[in-house]
Amino acid sequence: MHKVYRRLAKRMTATALVVALAPLYAVGAGIYFYFSGIQEEQIKHELSTLAHNRMSAISLFLDERTSVLEVLAQTSSKEALTQPGALEKVFGLLNRRAWSFLDLGVIDAQGRHLAYVGPYPLEDRNYSEAPWFRETMLRGTFVSDVFLGFRGKPHFVVAVKHSAGANSWILRATIDSEVFTRLVQSAQLGQRGDSYIVNCEGNYQTPPRFGGKILDPSGIDLKHVPRRINVVERTTAEGKHLLTAFAWLPKKDWLMVIDQDPREALGPMNLARELELAVLGFSSLLIAASIIFLVRHMVRRLEEQDRERMAFDAQLAHSGRLVSLGRMAAGVAHEINNPLAAIGELAGLLDDLIDEDFRKSHPHGTLFKENLAKIQQHVERVRSVTHRLLGFARRMEPHLEALEVNQVLTEAFSFLEREAKLKGVEVKLELAQDLPSLQTDRAQLQQVFLNLLNNALDAVEEGGHLRLESWRDDGEVVVSVADNGPGIPEDMQDSVFDPFFTTKGPGEGTGLGLSISYSIMQKLGGSITFESVPHQGATFYVHIPIS
Amino acid sequence: MILSIGVLLVDDQRDFTEMLGLRLQEEGHRVSAAFSGEHALQALERGHETVDVVVLDLKMPGLDGEETLKAIKERWPQLEVILLTGHGSIDTAVTCLKAGAFDYLLKPAYFSELLAKLGKARRLKWEREERMRMAEAKLGGRRSGGLM
Repeated sequence: MHKVYRRLAKRMTATALVVALAPLYAVGAGIYFYFSGIQEEQIKHELSTLAHNRMSAISLFLDERTSVLEVLAQTSSKEALTQPGALEKVFGLLNRRAWSFLDLGVIDAQGRHLAYVGPYPLEDRNYSEAPWFRETMLRGTFVSDVFLGFRGKPHFVVAVKHSAGANSWILRATIDSEVFTRLVQSAQLGQRGDSYIVNCEGNYQTPPRFGGKILDPSGIDLKHVPRRINVVERTTAEGKHLLTAFAWLPKKDWLMVIDQDPREALGPMNLARELELAVLGFSSLLIAASIIFLVRHMVRRLEEQDRERMAFDAQLAHSGRLVSLGRMAAGVAHEINNPLAAIGELAGLLDDLIDEDFRKSHPHGTLFKENLAKIQQHVERVRSVTHRLLGFARRMEPHLEALEVNQVLTEAFSFLEREAKLKGVEVKLELAQDLPSLQTDRAQLQQVFLNLLNNALDAVEEGGHLRLESWRDDGEVVVSVADNGPGIPEDMQDSVFDPFFTTKGPGEGTGLGLSISYSIMQKLGGSITFESVPHQGATFYVHIPIS
Repeated sequence: MILSIGVLLVDDQRDFTEMLGLRLQEEGHRVSAAFSGEHALQALERGHETVDVVVLDLKMPGLDGEETLKAIKERWPQLEVILLTGHGSIDTAVTCLKAGAFDYLLKPAYFSELLAKLGKARRLKWEREERMRMAEAKLGGRRSGGLM
């Protein structure tokens, strides 16, 4: 492909690609962002629901234990519970229902341990200074934060007060937090999700899955966590990007935290995105390939057409050159023909003068004779060349001028007069003198006459007759050229105007003369016809319109 | 020795056709010409015996090259046809090759190329005619054998 076309192809390809692919990408991106937005909303919603559920469950767990102790405290008397064996019985009853109480104690208003069931020797402990004791005495109910205690197992304390003035007492129980840790951890999502509880200082109340142990600081800035359930995107101190749901427990200042790895959460979305990208990539490739193919095809076609047009233009230019060449050739032929006729005549005269006596008497007589013959031979050659040159004039656009047909005819005849003489052909001219002058092309008309005269001369035997006539007929001037040659056989009469049709031997005629004459007369608005009687001769008529 | 080939030139561009014809004549070939598809068929009607190869332009007003080719191949299957075509009608040229044309030449045609293709086409025509003659002779021989 040529550089210009390659550049055109590049530009077309680029434009088509932009026009085709830009909307595709825009729609693709739009769809992706729309659905990923929806997906994210949904994930957040699910996370918040989960946080709510877990929070409720834990709340329920605490409430259940608190209310069991409350019921026990309200419905029992200090005396009944501090009787030997009574507290053990209650403790056994409680734990039979799997309430996960580790121990149970009764403490009076002064902080003294009245009764205790449990694995630790706490009977003599005085709690009057303990914060939880004061809190319980003040509010009636207390739930502590988680602590590890002596055994290193996470647990916490629930205490309720039996109000009776100065005789008030407290029922205190330690609760294994294992169960509720499990409850919290069941909210851990996927492979990288986490869920845990932190207290109001931000310390873990249940062990997190990653990044810390129970009671460690979680690093969560609690000041910015609102009271309602909410889902935020956050980045931890370690730089982990998380989607987190926060839910405060209603009765205890514990914060339920559920972390989710957004990459994991958005897994299906990512798959969809990859799928979309793949489809987009594939269609882009397909579109690009088709565009490139089509553009190349089109440009190649264009180039071909251009090339064809250029070839056609070149041919036109060639025809143009032929026409000017024709004009020149016709002029040159005319110029050459006259001196040529003189040379021929004079050579003929000399030839006649060099008779046998002269040839024999003169030392170069034979040479003279031979060279004269050669001169005549070459004159003939030049004459045939000029005739052929005249043939070039035929394709010119007619150059119209006012002219006398008789004059053109006699001029044409003058070219052949000598040949006629040599052949001993008698030529009779019967030209009407009252002919109007005609607007037509001299060179082309002359060409027609020359062709007809040439044919007629070739057709007749030595000593034959030619008759040239002209007359005026209805709206036209007619010139006829008649010979008394063998005529045109009937089976050939259809073909005489065919190009390359000739009755002459090889090398004698091109078969173009009549064909060319025919097309010239058509162009000049006239026509050419003939009559022929086999063995008697043929007559060709040239009809030239007067207007 | 150059054997004379009967060539029918069919092209609406007279200049081109005549010049080509003259040059072929100078090479010793027998030339006839027609300036349209219709004329070509008429000319063949009158004298297809003298024609060996038809040189046919694809783009012509009236009956175009393709139709002319089909008409020629239908009536005178023994004639070889060489197509003249511009760049734009190469597709058509290929269709025409399938329709029985011998070969094609790109216009503007190189004369030597045309001469070479003409020679090949004529040779092919002769070979085919020879084969047919032999086949007929065999057939005839068998027939007469049967009569005996």
